[in-house]
Parts: sequence; C-alpha cells; structure tokens
Amino acid sequence: MNTMNHKSDKKLPELLSTAPSYLWLFVFFLLPSLLVFAIAFKSADSSGGISDSWTLSTISNVLRQDYIIVLWRTIWVSVVVTALCLLLSIPVAYWIAQQPKKYRYWYLLLIIIPLWTNFLIRIFAWRTLLHPEGFLRTALLWLGVIPDDMFLLNNMGAVITVTVYTCLPFAILPIFAAAEKFNFALLEAARDLGASRFKAFYAIFLPGIKRGILTAILVVFIPAMGSYAIPDLVGGVDGELLGNKIALRASANRNLPEAAALAAMLSIIITVPVLAFMLKHKRLLRNIISIRRSAGDSTK
Amino acid sequence: MTMKLGLKLAALATAVSALLWGCGPSKPVLNLYTWSDYIDENLVKEFEKQYNCKVVIDTFDSNEFMYAKLKAGGSGYDVIVPTSYMSKIMNDQKMLLKLDHSKLPNSKYIDKRYLDNLAIDKKMEYCIPYMLGYTCIAYNKEKLGDIPQTWEVFSNEKNKGRMTMLNDYRETIGAGLMFNGYSINTRNEKELEKAKEQVLKWKKNLAKFDNEVYKAGIQSGEFLVVQGYSGDLFQVLDESPNLSFMIPKEGVMIACDDMVIPASADNPELAYKFINFFMDPKNAAKNMEYTCYAAPIPEAKKYLPEELRTHPGMIFPEALFKAGQIIQDLGDDNAKYLKVWDEIKISQ
Repeated sequence: MNTMNHKSDKKLPELLSTAPSYLWLFVFFLLPSLLVFAIAFKSADSSGGISDSWTLSTISNVLRQDYIIVLWRTIWVSVVVTALCLLLSIPVAYWIAQQPKKYRYWYLLLIIIPLWTNFLIRIFAWRTLLHPEGFLRTALLWLGVIPDDMFLLNNMGAVITVTVYTCLPFAILPIFAAAEKFNFALLEAARDLGASRFKAFYAIFLPGIKRGILTAILVVFIPAMGSYAIPDLVGGVDGELLGNKIALRASANRNLPEAAALAAMLSIIITVPVLAFMLKHKRLLRNIISIRRSAGDSTK
Repeated sequence: MTMKLGLKLAALATAVSALLWGCGPSKPVLNLYTWSDYIDENLVKEFEKQYNCKVVIDTFDSNEFMYAKLKAGGSGYDVIVPTSYMSKIMNDQKMLLKLDHSKLPNSKYIDKRYLDNLAIDKKMEYCIPYMLGYTCIAYNKEKLGDIPQTWEVFSNEKNKGRMTMLNDYRETIGAGLMFNGYSINTRNEKELEKAKEQVLKWKKNLAKFDNEVYKAGIQSGEFLVVQGYSGDLFQVLDESPNLSFMIPKEGVMIACDDMVIPASADNPELAYKFINFFMDPKNAAKNMEYTCYAAPIPEAKKYLPEELRTHPGMIFPEALFKAGQIIQDLGDDNAKYLKVWDEIKISQ
C-alpha cells in the first residue's frame, strides 16, 4: 500500500514534466503528419484548392512508373551516401577515440566548426570548388585524369559528394561516442589470441560500436532520402530526387494532395524499416530502459 | 531553405511593423503584398508623406504561395502584385475588386500596345499592369562571339554541359512550342508532343534545368548560355561587359505583374490612390530604375536619365509586342503540360 502511494506520488510530477514535450510532439509532429496522410486521400482542383470528397486516385497516381524511377534513384543515392559516410567516419572515429583525452575534443571541434557556416553557403562553396574552369577540374584535366567533356558539377557525382560532405559530421559524432566507450584492450587481447589486425577490427571493434553505427545510418539515411536543396543546386538534368518532386507539386503545380501522397510514401518508406528494426531489437531497447531505471534507483 | 528564411524574416518584419504601428498615432495603413525588392522605397516614403499614411510591405516569392496564403484565409492586404495569369485565376475565384477607373485617372498612361497585343485583362477590369519582363538568353560573348538569334542555340553540342534552361514547365516547354511556331498556351497534344521532342533534343546539351544558380553561373563563366528572366539577367549584364543577351526570333515569353485590389481589402480607397501614384510617369521612371524592369508606361521614358533610355530591361523591346506571348492559366489542361514535363525530366 505504502509503495503504491509512493509510486503514484512519483507518477504525477513525472507526467507533468513530460507533458509539454508530448504536447509539442503531438501538435507539431503527429498532427501535421496525420494531416499530410489525410490530404493524400483528396484530389486537387484546377485552381489549386483541395477537393471536399475522398479519393484513392491520388495514391494510385503516385505509384506510377516515373515516380518509381525517381524513388529508386532517391533510394540508391541515399544508400551510396550512407555507405560512403560510414566508410569515412568509422576510421576517423576510431582514430580520434584513441588520441589522448586532452586532444580528442579539439579534433571533434574541427569536425563541428564547418557546421557553423550556413548550409547553403557551404553548398555554394562546393559550386566554386567544382567549377568547370576552377582549380580542381583544370588540374585534373592537366593530369589527364578526366576526359575533356567531363564536368565535376551538375551530375549525380556532385550530388553524392556534397551530400556526403554535409552528412559526415553527423555520422562521425555517434560513432565516436560509441568508440570512446569501447575498451581498446579488447583489440590487444584479440591480437594476442592470434587474430590479424583486420580480423580484430572487423570481429571485435565493429560489433563493439554497433549502436553508434546504427545511429549514424539513421541520421544519414533519413535526411538523404528527403534531400532537396543539394540536388537542386549541384544536380544535373537527371538529378531530380523525390524531395524535388514534392517541392514542385506543392508549389508551382498547385497540387497539394499529390505532394502529400509523395511525402506520405517517403515517410512510410523511412518509418517502416526503422520500426521493424526497433521491434526486432526490443530487448535492446528494454535493456537500455532498465539500465536507465536502475541508474535512477541507485541515485536514490 | 531560402524561402523558409524569407518567410521568417517576412513574418518578423510584419510583426515588428505591426508593433511600431501600434505605438504611433493611428494613421491609415496600406498593406502591400508583393515580390521582394520590387518597389522603390523612396517612392513609398513619398506616398506615405503625401497621403499621411503608413505602408506595410509583406513579400512572397511565388504566385502559388501567395495564392495559397490568401485561400487559407490570409486577409488584410490592400494591394497585391500577382503575375497576370494568377490575377486571372484570382478574379475567376471572385477574390478581386472590380476596378473603378474614375479613381484611377493615371490609367490613361498605360501602354495601348501592351493592352491590345498581350494583356489578358485588356480593359483593366480587375488589374493594372505594373512591370513587364520577358524571358531571354544571356551568353558569354567573349567565348562564343556573336550567336544567331534562335532557340536553336541549345542544339549546339560544342557547349554541351555549359548551358541551362529554366526549371519551369511552362517556360521551357513554351520555348519548344515557340520554336515549332505554336502558341505557348496550346491545348493541342500533338503540338505538345513536338515541343517535348524538341526540349529532349536540347536537354542532351544542358548542364541542368535551373532557376537558382544560372545568374551566378553565367557571371562566373560556369555556364556559357542561359535562359533566364530579363530583370535578373540585366542586373548581371550591366556589371559584366563580357556577356551579351539575345532574344530568339521565334519569340519569347512575356510576364507581366499586375496591381490588384483584393475583395477583402480593408482600405480600398487608399489602394486606389497607391495604384494611381505608381502609374504617374515620373514615379514609374524612378521605379524602373530601381527594379530594372519595364513599366508599361511609354511617357515614363522621358523621365529616365539619358543613358537608360535604350536600356533593354527598362524599355520594352518594340518587337516583343508582336513576337512575345504571355503565359495564361490553362485550368485542367495544365495537367497536359505537367505530363510532358515529367516525361522530359525522366527521359535519359
């Protein structure tokens, strides 16, 4: 009885303190998302309004072939970007985590500082770097590395390069956070037991920082799927991604239902694998929660 | 991204101006909704002084956004500056006031050549033309020399990867239509098919379809030929002697932004005075100098400084009254253009 009272005593302040954040999420995230899903079941009239009646035609329309091509392009670009980010960020995080503690945060700072410059300005800086008469292309032409008719800008290569560049810090940070907690003595132990350097890295280090890697995948893949400004600014004639289609439908085409249907499709594609993953790793989540609880208990 | 920032700034500006206005003596207020950097603020101050009022300017960066905001219940604007196809849509939706010309004596200055040849609202029943612009082609004269006046410039494989056309379905399909001698407002699917084939031919040589970076790109030498809006391009051309411009002989798209009074205006009397003020040739000349666009007011020319009286941005090229076409809204047939545009975009 006493413990029950104690529990409900604790519940109320907890509820009150978390209510604002739930309310925030409800009003600014859940409600708008639901509206987007609802509008996807409407159709547009020619003056740009939204019809009163419900229909499935908008949904079936966005499943047509040309959207699937754009969707497929968006997925492979995002997958390539995510893979490149991991490939670059794991060695960086591995290296920083092994530096003396007093230097580590300086290296991290070096990674974060570029983020202080506006996103668009950094994209325009890339346009200058990759300029057809800029230093880089002229040098590559002179060295004979690229043919005369190859450009570094306005193609998928540029979109992938710039997206990797903008996402990289967000991949390095969680992997570093995981690597910092990793016990590097385990690698030595593996080597002592006869594992090769590569084997130790692959079989001990990578599983050890799994959570960091998974977080990095999420924070890179999701924004890459919704990317819109980068393909618009550095992409070429065939550089349109799903984000650009949504923007076009919502603005110049005055077709909000179709934009909503595309946006809904995008969020389903992103949410379903994430949810599936979270359900599969329920145990992992429960573990984290219980660890937090026990930590809370111990402070009491 | 930029739009979001622009919106925030606009919202902030409105909030601040509302606050300031709240503190001062209660003068009548005129709320203007227009494109950014599209009106000479010294003239606005002059108007405020002359009529002892306050003008609050709010900006939009696309007709569709402005329309959506009004449809969603945005009101309180007294004068709005939509492009003429949008003025027509708004009028069809009964969102505009029918203009009383007894309150607009200066409307006699409006160019008859514009009204007869190009205007959608030829009798100015619901809108007064504010500024005229056109789509043209800027090119790097230093590298290419003089080039023939034709849309065919985009077929030149020598400039492959160094040319852009607009990322706008009406403008770019329109170029294909004009090249084949069709109306840019055609509803004929066969003609659209021909235009599509033409644009696809051009697409092979383009770096991209673009509305954002072509200005900087033609100036920095990244692009050698770009299709763009006259006001934008002349801002760059005035600074860069190595660039030149060309109006294709097959014709170009004309865009006219109008001044309209929404039916929901709080202060239509002041709105009439405002529109009339900007049709005064003296004021129109100052406004042209500021915006680099052409006000359709021939009288204004004599108030321009000598060296600007032949400026191709401010003085609308005579030939375009005949060779130019104005984009009209096609209602349900817009879908035909969208379909063609999607096919152009997806084709490899």
